Amino acid sequence: MDFTLTEEQEMLRQAARSLFTRECPSSLVRAHMDDPAAADPLWKHLREWTALAAGDTVDLCLFLEEAGAAVAPGPFFATTALFGPVLAAAGHTALESVQAGELTGTVAMAGADGAWTANGDPVKTFVPELDRVDQVAFVGEGPTVAVVPAQGLAWRPVATLDSTRRLFEVEGPADRSAAVPVAAQALADAVGRATVAVAAELVGAGRWLLDATVAYAKERTQFGRPIGSFQGLQFEITDMALAWERAAAAVAYAAMALDAADPDRRTAVHVAKAQAGEAARRCARVGMQVHGGIGYTWEHDLHLRLRRAYAGDGLLGPVTWHLDRLAELLFDSDRET
Amino acid sequence: MRLEWGAEEEAFRAELIEFLAAHAPPEARRRRDFIGSDDGSLPGWARAWQATLFDHGWMVPGYPPELGGRNATPVQTLVYLEELARQGIPRSLHFGGYAIVGPSLLEFGSEAQRAMAPAAIRGDTVWCVGMSEPDAGSDLASLSTRAELDGDSFVVNGQKVWTSYAMVAEKCFCYVRTNPDVPKHKGISVVIIDLDSPGVEVRPLRHVTGAAEFAEVFFTDVVVPRGNLVGQLDDGWRITMGSLAHERGGIWLEGVSGCQRTVDDLVALAHRRRLDRDLAVRRRLAAAYAEAQGLRALGYKGFAGFAQGSSAPEHSYMKLATSELRQDLYELGLDLQGPFGVVTDPERAEEGGRWPHAFLVSLAATIGGGTSEIQRNVIATRVLGLPRG
Ligand SMILES: Cc1cc2nc3c(=O)[nH]c(=O)nc-3n(C[C@H](O)[C@H](O)[C@H](O)COP(=O)(O)OP(=O)(O)OC[C@H]3O[C@@H](n4cnc5c(N)ncnc54)[C@H](O)[C@@H]3O)c2cc1C
Repeated sequence: MDFTLTEEQEMLRQAARSLFTRECPSSLVRAHMDDPAAADPLWKHLREWTALAAGDTVDLCLFLEEAGAAVAPGPFFATTALFGPVLAAAGHTALESVQAGELTGTVAMAGADGAWTANGDPVKTFVPELDRVDQVAFVGEGPTVAVVPAQGLAWRPVATLDSTRRLFEVEGPADRSAAVPVAAQALADAVGRATVAVAAELVGAGRWLLDATVAYAKERTQFGRPIGSFQGLQFEITDMALAWERAAAAVAYAAMALDAADPDRRTAVHVAKAQAGEAARRCARVGMQVHGGIGYTWEHDLHLRLRRAYAGDGLLGPVTWHLDRLAELLFDSDRET
Repeated sequence: MRLEWGAEEEAFRAELIEFLAAHAPPEARRRRDFIGSDDGSLPGWARAWQATLFDHGWMVPGYPPELGGRNATPVQTLVYLEELARQGIPRSLHFGGYAIVGPSLLEFGSEAQRAMAPAAIRGDTVWCVGMSEPDAGSDLASLSTRAELDGDSFVVNGQKVWTSYAMVAEKCFCYVRTNPDVPKHKGISVVIIDLDSPGVEVRPLRHVTGAAEFAEVFFTDVVVPRGNLVGQLDDGWRITMGSLAHERGGIWLEGVSGCQRTVDDLVALAHRRRLDRDLAVRRRLAAAYAEAQGLRALGYKGFAGFAQGSSAPEHSYMKLATSELRQDLYELGLDLQGPFGVVTDPERAEEGGRWPHAFLVSLAATIGGGTSEIQRNVIATRVLGLPRG
């Protein structure tokens, strides 16, 4: 097992980091709250990276960790982490246009209970960015996949804590003829990839929170010393760092397991998402506490990550859901989930 | 030790219940998770309600009638706080005026300042309390807003921050440095600053919820009459300790009752989401229930000592414990809803989006009014006598 990045991977990370630093300042994130078109200039840059939709999961995760740190809005995540992989699983030719940055899309899969398992529910929930993408891949019972234009669908936005990722409810297309069967394992791997991708974003948001908190604890002084010198805070921040490190490693492991089609990959995906959700939430709460009054203001950027941490935990299964799946694997080894 | 209140206290409670039934406006009965308005304004019903309480002697029962009370005993005051908390009815949406400024004016103020207390308690005058500054939060004593005596007035320069309700307040109960040449606790004074004075600028800040409930307050050469000094010059530190002394034995009730109501609501939520047979959920809620009940018992135990005139170390634990428990409870409320926990859309979210909103609001409880870390320091050194670090 080798967690060191190759030279190419290191370059990818650096490129992503400077792209998001340059093109996704918090002013853009805040403008996007009121007007989703504010993310369009960012998309002009990100569309050059949509080839990541089909490459290694490890690469996609490296890139999305940076997107998560910047809480990047727009269709990139839905297109590369959801739509592309589902097209790939279904052997759909539109994947090429996605990789070329010419086609955006999203996936409608979760039904009434919000879980990302194939179902025949007429209304799909938690569909990201639906009103601003070209196509939607509906995943139905069977499983099947139907790729249809987003335009003309009956949808409704559903606001959450996190305005940086816009979610929708949508009714399945009236015309069911577009639905084609997809191999269950291929679909499970696509959903696994998307799940680890959300986890990578959570690791990114957590990293921003951790870095900001450590930096603030060094620079803020009270009682004539840096607050980071108070042991009570040191312990909190250390535990936060441990949670983050563990999650980041678990996400990298799961990405590698998916790329290697390792038999252990299903477990690794559940571990990664559960750990990443837990870590991001913890980083948010401790980060808020260490920042004190300034962290509690709207004007400070901390809450943008706090919101992403909680909403990202919810997307593609919160901690509790993944732990329940793990418990089934641990206790009911005869059971297929 | 005894479990029930006496007949006299229950008669007092009955009278209160009757009053509340007759007068409490429906808005006050909207089960709220926190005191405070959502948009930082002070709605008319809240102001009218506070005045009604005052006029009927139910605003601060321990005070005499002219101060909005009825000379209630400590036990009666506890019964009063208990009943309000049980029904979830707030007295006021801004506690600064009746709980901090009014009592401090009465204890430390000049005759003219004491005369301002009734309006502060009745809510006719809205006050804000200017303590924190950008560089003086937990370390309040290092505050640097400067007030220099120049003949018959002070000239004030500096900045306050996170000042709740400064946007709607008429007056600020403001902690200033009057002597920079002595140890920091010994050069602080309190002055009353009219917020419409020339040189005062209030810039609203928003909470993480988006509500504009606090502000930055800037002072540039603000002239404050010497008569606005509260208490003695350079003796302001003493005033930080002054607040509703006779209610101190019972302020924990608000926090504990909030926790208990939230546990009840979580049980109802678990039923609605069909998690009531889920063993993990049942245990977590039972544990939360046990914690809240234990805290309630601890609060009453402290009150017994308080009523007999001794200080109650138990109460030091209460703010710490109830603020942290409430955060955990609201977070649990999100978890019980699975992926729907973060939904805020009023038509799709449980209880109109109450849970994510209350969760965000609850994050302030471990910061404002002394952070959890500071509370722990105080308990460690003053209650447990551990050596200072
Ligand atoms: C909603 C809200 C309303 C408020 N309203 C008012 C108001 O009306 N008037 C007013 O004056 N102020 C108000 N405040 C400010 C509040 O009193 C301060 O935020 C609080 O005292 C903490 O100060 P700080 O924010 O500067 O944090 P800091 O003191 O900088 O603390 C930062 C972190 O360091 C920790 N820390 C500091 N010292 C120690 C130590 N010795 N040991 C261990 N850890 C330590 C803290 O616990 C915290 O985690 C309000 C704050 C909030 C959030």
